[in-house]
Amino acid sequence: MSAAVPIPVIQLLQVLTVALGAPGLMGVIAKIEARLQGRRGTRVLQPYYDLAKLCRKEALAPSGASWFFLAAPFVAVAAYLTIPLLIPVLTTYGLPLGYMGDILGGGFLLSLASFVVATAALETGSPYAQLGSSRAKTFSAITEPVVLFVVFTVALLTGTDLPYALAATVRSSAGQVIRPAHLLASAALFMVILHETGRIPVETHTGTNEFGMIEEARSFEHSGPYFALLKWGSMLKQFILFTILADVFLAPWGLASTQRLGAVLLAIVALLAKAVAIGVAVAVIDDSFAKLRLFKITEYVSAAFLLAVLGVFTLYLGGG
Amino acid sequence: MSSAPGIYAGTANVIAALMLLLEFGMLRQALVRDQVRLYAAQSAMISILAIVIAADRDLPELYALAALSGALKVVAVPLVLRRLLGAPASEETPGVAGSYTLNPASAVLACIVLAAFGFFCFGSLGIHSGQAPALALSLAGAMVFVAFALMIVRRDVASQAIGFFSLENAISLASLVLAAELPLLLETAFLFDLLLAVVVFGMLIRAHHSRAESLSTADLSRLRG
Repeated sequence: MSAAVPIPVIQLLQVLTVALGAPGLMGVIAKIEARLQGRRGTRVLQPYYDLAKLCRKEALAPSGASWFFLAAPFVAVAAYLTIPLLIPVLTTYGLPLGYMGDILGGGFLLSLASFVVATAALETGSPYAQLGSSRAKTFSAITEPVVLFVVFTVALLTGTDLPYALAATVRSSAGQVIRPAHLLASAALFMVILHETGRIPVETHTGTNEFGMIEEARSFEHSGPYFALLKWGSMLKQFILFTILADVFLAPWGLASTQRLGAVLLAIVALLAKAVAIGVAVAVIDDSFAKLRLFKITEYVSAAFLLAVLGVFTLYLGGG
Repeated sequence: MSSAPGIYAGTANVIAALMLLLEFGMLRQALVRDQVRLYAAQSAMISILAIVIAADRDLPELYALAALSGALKVVAVPLVLRRLLGAPASEETPGVAGSYTLNPASAVLACIVLAAFGFFCFGSLGIHSGQAPALALSLAGAMVFVAFALMIVRRDVASQAIGFFSLENAISLASLVLAAELPLLLETAFLFDLLLAVVVFGMLIRAHHSRAESLSTADLSRLRG
């Protein structure tokens, strides 16, 4: 029988799992993508080496950029590292800081991080960075309704919008798992995640082609440790979104229901395995579909919107 | 926390939701051969639903209906449609691709409103048969409206025919969830109706194509004897 882990330590472990697991997940996805494309690909640990290398490099800022340009990466990473406190990363039971924000709170933090990075990119005066932030904000405005409808579905299913409550609802019975509203909302969220992590429909997350860049273009002018923070931030965002999808919507199993060390360690392994499984699916989808033209993005988002709205309809009008 | 329906009702609801999504897929799809594929998939869903209901309520004649419906709607009708649309089927017939009157994103948004209306109408009827999942019935109602919209927003005979056939799928779905114990003879009569519709639409497609060299109905703006 293993020892009990103090609650504050579990809370810290939630953040550390996301913080340290995110670059590894990026490395695994890059490796799988390379294999699918017939390449050997880089090491799985390459993102860690890249971040370490960038941290040792000199940092330069464009002339005229204010303190905000340098502060933005720190604010973004701080926002991303706060979200694991709010969502079920390792435990089925709510941790003390878990109730300081609901799903909307997590959404606000994600938006705050994106906003400060976009504003910092605007400060540089570089056309590519500005183009990236302009596009990112435009497209996030059209994906916002989808996320809102997913939150509405969660609220209708559970009577609250706490992520812990939805995970508990999904675990409660098989009927909840195969409920159309739950499946439709999960599918809509997955489509938003594909878009938000720069996979499909238009973006090439690893590419250097300016026309296909949205999120990646924003960090053009940052360098050294600041650039490392931005890159780490986008990895954190991906891991957090995968965690929400896995631990709240699709598979909230394998989480620790007690404070025992064994259960918590098992939850860490389970989370990493679930994130890798989603990563494999994402890599396959990313490699199987052709990129769309930029303005076709509305068609993609309208499909996600359809799923989310039907999810609400099935509950609110259909009584299911 | 709202209570979840049981496994049987949940499965029926999910199948109905997938059918509605496939209907939306037909609406968005630009190429008619892809629409035919989606129609076949939607029809396969009906057969699967019939099997689920047969297993749950112990109605052996529904297995026969599932097999008959599958043979007809998953195999025969798509095959006839592909033949009608010209050989080789892989080449797109003129007048079909992109025959939208609305752009796809607007069409989807308009149909979401229509689907909501369908949900509302069927929901407010308050029909509750013994074990029928009420949500699947509302989804069938939404499908009926979206199928109508498909026939309206597309200006080619082929898409309109597919819209009509999928309308029949929506009605089959409603009859399955509402009155699964309907005599097999009546269900077969519905299928026979579909066969007639295929023949009529086939003749219309042929006649229109031979006259106009196109499947588009955009030029049919005047009544002529």
